Parts: sequence; structure tokens; C-alpha cells
Amino acid sequence: METYLEAEGLTKYFDGVAAVEDVSFVIRRKEIFGLLGPNGAGKTTTIRMLSTVLAPDVGDVCVGGHSVIREGDEVRKRIGICPQELALYPELSAVDNLVFFGRMAGLSGREARARARTVLASVGLESRGNEVVKKYSGGMQRRVNIGIALMNRPELLFLDEPTVGIDPQSRNHIFETVLSLRAEGTTVLYTTHYMEEADRLCDRIGVMDRGRIVAVDTPTELKRQVGDPDQTTLEEVFLHLTGRSLRD
Amino acid sequence: MGRSFHLARFELRRYLAHRSDLAFGIALPVVLFSLMMVALGPDAKFRGVMHVADLDGGSLASRILERVENADGVAVRRYTRDELADALGRAAISTGFVIPPGFSASVESGAPASIVVKSRGSGSDEGRFVTGIVQGALRAAASEIELRRVAGVLVGDPANDARLDEAVRQALAGARTRPPVVVVTESMWVREASQLDRLLAGIVVMFLLFSGTLGARALIEERRTGTLERLMTTRLSAGELFVGKFLAGIGRVVLQSFVLLGLAFAVLGMAGPVVFLQCLVLAIVVAAAVTAIGLVIAAVARTEEQAAFSAVVLTMFMSVFGGTFLPTSGTGWLDVLARFTLNKYATDAFVGLFGEAATLADQGAELVILGAVAILGLATAGMMFRVSSSAV
Ligand SMILES: Nc1ncnc2c1ncn2[C@@H]1O[C@H](COP(=O)(O)OP(=O)(O)OP(=O)(O)O)[C@@H](O)[C@H]1O
Ligand SMILES: [Mg+2]
Repeated sequence: METYLEAEGLTKYFDGVAAVEDVSFVIRRKEIFGLLGPNGAGKTTTIRMLSTVLAPDVGDVCVGGHSVIREGDEVRKRIGICPQELALYPELSAVDNLVFFGRMAGLSGREARARARTVLASVGLESRGNEVVKKYSGGMQRRVNIGIALMNRPELLFLDEPTVGIDPQSRNHIFETVLSLRAEGTTVLYTTHYMEEADRLCDRIGVMDRGRIVAVDTPTELKRQVGDPDQTTLEEVFLHLTGRSLRD
Repeated sequence: MGRSFHLARFELRRYLAHRSDLAFGIALPVVLFSLMMVALGPDAKFRGVMHVADLDGGSLASRILERVENADGVAVRRYTRDELADALGRAAISTGFVIPPGFSASVESGAPASIVVKSRGSGSDEGRFVTGIVQGALRAAASEIELRRVAGVLVGDPANDARLDEAVRQALAGARTRPPVVVVTESMWVREASQLDRLLAGIVVMFLLFSGTLGARALIEERRTGTLERLMTTRLSAGELFVGKFLAGIGRVVLQSFVLLGLAFAVLGMAGPVVFLQCLVLAIVVAAAVTAIGLVIAAVARTEEQAAFSAVVLTMFMSVFGGTFLPTSGTGWLDVLARFTLNKYATDAFVGLFGEAATLADQGAELVILGAVAILGLATAGMMFRVSSSAV
């Protein structure tokens, strides 16, 4: 399968300490790639470098044939990012949020309004789109957070822990959204601390620990490294790879 | 650039959706100004009030008071003898007038009579202004009486009042339409700046400074929640983001100025779209300066609390030392200190425009200084601008 994203030797230091060190991996077109790892492993820092927000100290990333360092604008045309924390304007309505970010992503006013309607429907908020976001439940806010990332019809979507703190209904809806996006041809990078979620959704998984990639493979192959894939859970694989010690 | 404008427009909508900001930036000054208007009473729009105890109550006294009341910019407020003495004693007023009993009768019978002016100390500008108007009214009344007397002698029949009245009336009407001698006054009526003008201008500037500098909080909040970083993954460049935030700040402060200046004009009883427009142009320059200061605070402060603290301290310091509450027309170190405040230049410029003694063209020095603050602040903030809350 065709490679869509290729990270090569990515390294980032904060105050002299490496948060991400020599990270290399590829994401294939139209796959859901899971990035797993304990707290502080460097997942978010990696995503920030992949999405042009943070310049790597060493290394480069190629997204859809364009370097994040030299062709940031070309990369930004192709990506959508749903950050780990809610990054939206709670005092405004979902529609206003979507239209605004859509316009900043280069859509015209008319395009942005039309696209906002489609996106609202796909995140299951069509009937409440005109209410202010701060009155929404946690699950609804998370879905708006994802919706914003969809406004520019990204070829590559980054979802950084999109299902934190929400009920099974919202979570299921998000799964369905992600799966239908893949069916439409979107490539997805997905991080989560819920192993069964990763198992269910991801075509391939990269496991990070202490800033480094320690394994990349399909869920089945990862399980086979530990035991019988039908008897082993991804959680067991995760603990096997990253150890049982607590992280800061 | 188009994206910057769109961003600015969006920001304005957010501002209008933000109740606490609106309450502080617009509702609070509205309440403050309304209270001032009530406290100062309807007289505030007059340049002077004639505080008078009319102990005579005769027809001549009434005619004189009527003349004064019809003069431009003067109101008449009536007192009893004791009330007037009391108001003067309490220093509630600085000049009072007493029309003694028998005044009208005395004048009509040809005997001399007088109106007594009571002043505290040397009186006030207002008192002198009102006294001038009263003297004018007295002179007009005196010439009418004189004319009447002369006409009476000529007609030789002072008892024949009807004929006499008619003759006097015609003579006065003739004098009005074809005055034998006139003085042509070419000076324009100019509204002089008062203490109230300075206070209102100072308060307007203080609130603009508050909004401009407190805008830093919102920017830091966006850095914390990650919307700025998220915007960096759209097609918006950091430069466009910075310009958009600057334009939004100007828009917000100008919107606020529009409301506050409108109120100030209402309190001061000022009219004139030309003056108002000039005030708005000045407000744009002030808005640029205060927004630039806000952007510098946003660049330096790490948390919203730090930003709010810096904004409040800076605004209060500059307002107190920049002459918002007291004039700075002295010498010495306070005056030197005032020159380091934005308020001094902004307030002086507004007071000049309020007083109609100056136009925007006369405020060149102030405009240049405010513009320089805007440019320097913008350059500093631009160099330090960042979208992420921690080290990158
Ligand atoms: N801006 C920053 N300044 C300094 N240190 C940082 C910064 N961002 C991240 N770090 C550090 O880098 C390391 C990796 O953080 P990162 O947020 O990428 O981890 P993560 O895998 O996303 O963790 P989590 O699962 O908790 O989201 C952590 O030790 C973190 O404290
Ligand atoms: Mg993270």
C-alpha cells in the first residue's frame, strides 16, 4: 500500500531533555494508524511536529509528498487536527466555531456554511448546532472538537485522544465517524489510552515509550509477539512493551 | 490580509457574546456616566446658572430674570433668602444674586435701585460669566425704562399709558430692526472646556485603556486552550493572526469609544457631528496605542492572572498620574511623571476637542505620541508573539 506520511528521525528537546527521540514510522494511505504509549511518551509532541505546529530539532516528515519543514503550507492544506484538549470557542455556537475554522482553512463563507452542515450531521449534532458550545455535554463538545478538524476535508486526520471522558454513546458515534471517514478515503492517526478502542479501530499500531517508538505492527502481529493472538489482549502487549512501572 | 480581517470580525462577535467583558467595558461606564448626569443635574449642560433670591417679585424683576433665562447657556435657579445664604455658606455655589424687596417699584418711580451680587472669595468663572449676562439684561431693561421716561416727557402726558406704551414699543421695534449703532462681534461662540470635560475625557480614556490592556487575558486564554495553536494548522500565518488580533483590538476599543463618547456628549450637552467624528478619529489612534500595549502584556505575561494584574496596575497608575482625576497643569515631578502616561496625551486631546477650542489638526503632538506608542508597542509585541503557552 502507498505511503502517505513518512516520519524520519524526528527528535524534539524541551529544556535539554528529549521528549521525542529519533522517531521514524510510516502511515499508509487510507489506514487508521494508532499511536499508543503511556503518559508523557511523546505522542502529542510527535503529532505537533507532524502537523507543522512544532519544528523538529532533528528529522523531517513528509506528508502527501510535502516536507513539514519546507512546505508547511502545502501540508496544512491536507491535514485536519483534533487536539487532545478542547480547542474551540465555548461562548459561540458549534456552527460559528465550524464556519470560523473553515474560513481560516481557506473555505469561502458559503462553502464553510455548507460544509458546517455536513460536518454537524456527521458528528451527530445537526439539531443543536446553533446552541453555544459551553452548554453542551462533554461528549458533544468532543464531537465539535473533531468536527472542526473535518472542515477542510483533510486527507490526513490527527485525532489526539478524541474519546477522553465521554459516555459509550458518544464514543461509539465517534468510532463510526472515524470508520466512515476511512471508507471515504481519509487517512487517520489516532491516539488513545483505551486499548480495546485501538484494537477495534486501528489497522496498524505504533507503540511509543519515553520518546521512542518501540514497536509498529498490526494488532494481531503485536499480540503474536506475546502469545496466542486469539488469547492475548492489546493491553497485555502494551504492558509487555512498556513495562509496569508508573510514569510521571 | 483578508483572513486577518475575517479573524478580526469574528473576534468582535466573540466580544459581543462575552457578557462579562461587555458589562465591564460598556455597561459599567454607562452606569457611571448616568450617575454623574443625575448627580450633576440638568444644569450640567449650561455654562452657568444664576442662583437668585427674588425678594421683590415685581414685574421688572421678572422681566430681567426672563431675559437672563433666554440668554444662551444660562439657567436660572430660584432660592429664598435663607436658602441662598445657606448655599453660599456651604460653598454649594460660589455666586448668588439678591433682588431686594421694592426693587421694581423703586425703579419705576425713578429712584435708584440695585441687584446685589454675593460671591465667595473672588467668585468663579461661572459666576463672572453669569454676572456678565445679568448686567446685559439690566442694561437692556434700563434703556427701556429710560426710553419710556423720555417718551413720557415728549408726549407730555405720562398718564396716557396706552399711547406711551405704543410709542415705546414702536421705538424699541425700530431700534431692533434698524439699530442706530451696532457692535459686530466676530468671535465665534466657543464652548470652553470645563472641569467636567476633563473628568469625562479622563474616564473615557481610562476605560479604553482598561479594555485594550485586559484584551491580553483573552489572548493568553487562547494560548492556554490551544485555539491559537490550532489556528496555526489552518492556512492562517502567524503574521496574519497577529494582525487580526490587533485589528480586532482596535475594533473593540473603537466600538466602546463610540458608546462612551456618545454618552459623554450627552452628559456634557454637546452637539455637533463634526466634533464627534474628530473624537472618533482620535479614538482610533488611542485604540491602536492601547491595543498595542495589550499585545505587549500578552507577550510578557504567562498566565491570565498575571495579564489581568499588569493591565489593572498599569491602567490605574497611568490614569492617576496622567490627570484623569486631577489636572496635571503644575510643575515638579508629578508633571514629569504624567508625561510618561498615555492618559495625559489622550485626555488632553479629548478635552481640546470637547471644548471645541481645538480641532484634530491642533492635536498633532498628542497624535504623534499616541501613534508612536502604537508602533513601538506593536513592534515589541510582534517580535515576542507566540502561539503556544510553553517553551517550543
Ligand atoms: N511545551 C513543553 N515544554 C516542556 N516540556 C514539554 C512540553 N510539551 C511536552 N513536554 C514534555 O514532553 C514529554 C512528552 O509529552 P507529550 O505531551 O508529548 O506526551 P503524551 O504521550 O502526549 O502524553 P499524554 O498521554 O499524557 O498525553 C513529557 O515529559 C512532557 O512533560
Ligand atoms: Mg498527549
